[in-house]
Amino acid sequence: MELLALILIPLLAGAVLLFARPEKAARGIALVSTLLSLALVLWLWYTWTGTAVTGISHDWVPAWGMRFVLGYGGIGLLMLILTGVLFPFIIGTGYKQPVGDPSLVNAMLLFTQAALFGVFLAQNAFLFYIFFELSLVPIFFLLMFWGGEHKRAITVRFFLYTLLGGLALLFSIAYVTLQTPAPHSADFAALAALHLPMSTQVWLFWTMFLAFAIKMPIFPFHSWQPETYTMAPTQGTMVLSAVMGKMGLYGIIVFLFAIVPEGAQHWSSVVIGLSLFGALYAGVIAFRQNDLKRMIAYSSMSHLGLMCAALFTWNTYGISGTLYQMLAHGVLMICLFYIVGAVSQRTGSTDFSSMGGLKTRMPRFALLFMFVTANAIALPLTQSFVGEWLIYNGLWQWDNWTAFAGVVLIVLGAIYMLYAYQRVMLGPDREIAVTDADDEEHFFLVPLIAITLVLGVFPNVILHLVDGPVQQLLNSFTSLP
Amino acid sequence: MSALILISVLGVLVLYLGLFDKKSWLAPVSILGLLGAMALFISGYHIDHELLGGMVEFSAFSIGFNIGMAIITALIFFFGSDYYARQEHHVAEQYALMLFSLVGGFILTSYTSMLMLFIGIEILSIPLYILAGGKKQSLRSNEASFKYFLLGSFSTAFLLMGITLLYGLTGSFHLEALAAHMASTGTGDMVQNFGLFFVVTGLAFKVGAVPFHFWVPDVYQGAPTLVTIFMSTVVKMAGFAAFFRFIDITGMPDALARIMVLLTLATLLVGNVIALKQTHFKRLMAYSSVAHSGFLLLALLTDHGHAAGHGDAIGHTLHYYTFTYSLATTGLFILFTIAKRANNGAEHNNIFQGLFAAKPWLALCALAMFLSLAGIPLTAGFIAKYQVFLLAIGAGWLKVTLLGVLMALLGIYYYIMVVREVFVTPEEPVRFEVSPLNWVVVSVCAVGVLVLGVWPGLV
Repeated sequence: MELLALILIPLLAGAVLLFARPEKAARGIALVSTLLSLALVLWLWYTWTGTAVTGISHDWVPAWGMRFVLGYGGIGLLMLILTGVLFPFIIGTGYKQPVGDPSLVNAMLLFTQAALFGVFLAQNAFLFYIFFELSLVPIFFLLMFWGGEHKRAITVRFFLYTLLGGLALLFSIAYVTLQTPAPHSADFAALAALHLPMSTQVWLFWTMFLAFAIKMPIFPFHSWQPETYTMAPTQGTMVLSAVMGKMGLYGIIVFLFAIVPEGAQHWSSVVIGLSLFGALYAGVIAFRQNDLKRMIAYSSMSHLGLMCAALFTWNTYGISGTLYQMLAHGVLMICLFYIVGAVSQRTGSTDFSSMGGLKTRMPRFALLFMFVTANAIALPLTQSFVGEWLIYNGLWQWDNWTAFAGVVLIVLGAIYMLYAYQRVMLGPDREIAVTDADDEEHFFLVPLIAITLVLGVFPNVILHLVDGPVQQLLNSFTSLP
Repeated sequence: MSALILISVLGVLVLYLGLFDKKSWLAPVSILGLLGAMALFISGYHIDHELLGGMVEFSAFSIGFNIGMAIITALIFFFGSDYYARQEHHVAEQYALMLFSLVGGFILTSYTSMLMLFIGIEILSIPLYILAGGKKQSLRSNEASFKYFLLGSFSTAFLLMGITLLYGLTGSFHLEALAAHMASTGTGDMVQNFGLFFVVTGLAFKVGAVPFHFWVPDVYQGAPTLVTIFMSTVVKMAGFAAFFRFIDITGMPDALARIMVLLTLATLLVGNVIALKQTHFKRLMAYSSVAHSGFLLLALLTDHGHAAGHGDAIGHTLHYYTFTYSLATTGLFILFTIAKRANNGAEHNNIFQGLFAAKPWLALCALAMFLSLAGIPLTAGFIAKYQVFLLAIGAGWLKVTLLGVLMALLGIYYYIMVVREVFVTPEEPVRFEVSPLNWVVVSVCAVGVLVLGVWPGLV
């Protein structure tokens, strides 16, 4: 029941906002709703015993294997924690950096949260797909109404791009469902028990991977991403980069690794190659950006490329590292885009040319930004350090060259982040009239920085969650013929 | 029989009401009659299994389709009381002609003899030729009527040719006889293949399959909107029911399957690609109608390889698909009429601008219906398309299905372009005047596609 509540709380709160339109109280209602969800997620975490849980199991259209099954394992719980922890901050961004009609914006954000919880709870491929696509609809409106320049064209492109992947996934789901013994079932458990012939897995891998590759995004399916992230309102960018991008990685684990493991193994060098190339490519482009938001968009793509590569290395380090890094990257993206919003609110632009020397005028803000930058370049004792360290270990075990690419990426990441920090904060005072970080901004960033530091020192809290499932995954691989 | 008689008599009654200038009674009486017909179908009162010497057979399949068509016609008539409010003359005829056409539809869903197929198509079509020209002073309406009539007659000639050839082979109009003949002689017979080909051509014309679709955009555009709704919903349902009955009984030999694959591919491709560039809403809906025919043809295609008469799953899919498509189309065309009036008769896609600002609920309804046509989850359109893909993949048409999936993406594009307009706030607020009845009908359609999307078992 609590699993259904997880989907219903944001859904109902969103509906209340949409129909009652309480302009003033809207943010408060949304925040309370997300905090409730967070409490519920934390409670699930607290009561977690280490075994997979199935909360609700209900027939829907049995003839096509459609069942309403909600549940979670260790990895799913991690995703729930990610969504639960980050959404209060995403809603909170609206207090300081308001955009549009507060009831409508928050309603859309809550609908997205409901759909995302659905994605991470669904234990039936068809149900997964429904939530996967539904999460797009509120985002579509968020971008369409409150985006920046060229919002109409960019939004449609983003929508179609992701739906292309979605439809390919739907095709794959229909195909694999029909391969199950009658009466067909699209439950992940039933699909994982299928041992499709290699010749099928080889092509089925791509029709499934397309959806997740576009979602993350991975080179060469990324062309929607920089423009969409740049154009989207801050909260929309946060949702897209911090949570929705992770849907792609999560999808790879539940679909590709479970249903087409041999196909995934067959193509893993190609995927690692693409991901690492994309990560390097995005890193270089990020360095060359003149726009802070765009730079972070590319840096997000670079990080995701690295995570995807590590996922396909098939060892404990790589997979656990990616899972850990998903959470770290989510927190990081929220911080970075919040800072972008805060800076551009003060200078009126996200362009580097309008910034520089801000440190003398806003020393406390500069300090907060420094902490976040430290996390972004994965300094020891931060959350990203743990994730990236595990990822490099994983890459090292795969091949020397991939590890070398990883090292180049570390350096590249440090270069573009520090260069960005320098262009925003350092240099001579350009006498731009800006105010220092106020209480609200401290209230927002300090907890997030605290999370990064605490989890940077005690990573086992999270790693414990995924240890079991990762071992299970690896065991299922080694037992492959 | 009782329902057929009821609707026929109802048509005559409506004509008499027109004679006595009871314009305000027309819609209520017609709707009451349709409800009566539905009740007869549901209760099975005097709905004999076999009729007219076994030439018509009311099976579960045909009754399902008939009820669906009656519901859609009733919705159209609800809209009609508002649509015809400003028209003084010849209103009764419009209702009566639609009722007569509906009788043709009933026959098409339930024929077992090719003679009845022909008669059904004629009863369905002849009133439509007149209805399409309903706006007597409008050049476009006249063009639509004339074009539809010429091309329609031409296609009927093909159909008759096919029926004649098949009759020549079997000595009977009966579908069972045809099935028995085909089972005994195999598939190589040239005359038989030509016969099948011509019948399929005639039917493909009715459902607007490429390359027999050229009438669709012009007729949809020229005909009065209410008639356009009727053509894109009831006629499509009847057309596909007839198509299915014929295809299913032949068991689709390889030669026919080859033709059907070409038809399907061409319809999917042409319908969707041409729809991309449409800025005139009625023409957009026309090409979208062609595109949806493509998906329905894909479902029909999967009959290949079934034993003759064993395509129940396909029949059910067609029923669900056409009914939910009709619901969404009806609601959207009503909204189109409302928007057209608010914009002084313009028919461009952008007339929907400002709908969300002025009427948020109707805008959400429009959203639901467009998403249903586009096939986004939780709407009936999604379930419908998914069913088609399941059938097609199950029957092994993987590549055709992949094309269908790609085309579905194009479909999402052109519907989203209109959805985008709905949520644009123009500089000057537009006044949309919505009569309560229209509001109800649009809401019913929108809620219908959502409810059927969540509980597909209801149809």
